[in-house]
Amino acid sequence: MTVRARFLVFALIAASVFSVFSVHTASAVELSDEQLGRIKANCLSIKGSLNQLHASDALLRVNRGQLYESIGARLMNNFNSRLSNNSLDNKGLVAVTQSYQTAQTNFRNSYREYEVQLSAAIRIDCTKDPEAFHNAIESARIKRATTRADVVRMNQYIDDYRSAVNDFMLNFERVTGKK
Amino acid sequence: MDEQTPKPPVEETLGFWDQHRFMLLIVGTIFISFVLVAVSLVMYNVSGSAQLDLSRPGYQSVSDKVDRTDPVTEYSAFGPVNKQTVKAFTDVYDQQSKKAKAVDAFNGDPLNPDVLEFGDPTTSTE
Repeated sequence: MTVRARFLVFALIAASVFSVFSVHTASAVELSDEQLGRIKANCLSIKGSLNQLHASDALLRVNRGQLYESIGARLMNNFNSRLSNNSLDNKGLVAVTQSYQTAQTNFRNSYREYEVQLSAAIRIDCTKDPEAFHNAIESARIKRATTRADVVRMNQYIDDYRSAVNDFMLNFERVTGKK
Repeated sequence: MDEQTPKPPVEETLGFWDQHRFMLLIVGTIFISFVLVAVSLVMYNVSGSAQLDLSRPGYQSVSDKVDRTDPVTEYSAFGPVNKQTVKAFTDVYDQQSKKAKAVDAFNGDPLNPDVLEFGDPTTSTE
């Protein structure tokens, strides 16, 4: 590689790194004076809304989480075990169950990260540091969207498992001659 | 006849730690309990149990709304597999899957600056 080519590669890497950092910096400091003023003025009411959301999301996490855990542990796992105990092919169902359990783990982690971030945002004094407050809320917003995506994924696996049960049944009837 | 005079008992001088054994026991016990409490608090926070604990301050308004009924009927892992037993499973499964999807959890965008009323008025969210 010639010196010129090396310099070109170095310049390209430097430019891409710089552009990434500049995008992050720009997204972190995008508040107008008016917005800063509004955060300070509405600080109490915003915190009230965040506290309500914090509590209602926690309730949602407990109730939904309980249901999702039970579907995985008490229905999917047990049905897979029953097929296995009867020496029937359950590979397709086990594969979906494993994906579902991975999605569940992701959901638990995403929610924990979201909750920690939202709690951190609530602790920030928005009258003194509205920018940090805004950035913390933006970060919590992204983490909440991730949690939502995990819920959608779990629902998808619930449907996939149902389809896999139908496939199993079709195959089972064909093999056993429609018992 | 020599009369031996009894020797006075020699007083043992106790060291600092011997003199404060009881105090050391108390301090040691308190120190160990602090360490154990710290470890358990770290585990409580790291494991995600804290997020499920609605008895914490700030959650009083929702702590009584937790669904305490057993949400799912257990399907036995033992027994025969035939059309009837699979149908029994799919009935329970369909019922629970309907329940799971009944609530569109974590949807919407409540943390949007516009929703929280500090968005930039010059930009539109649409």
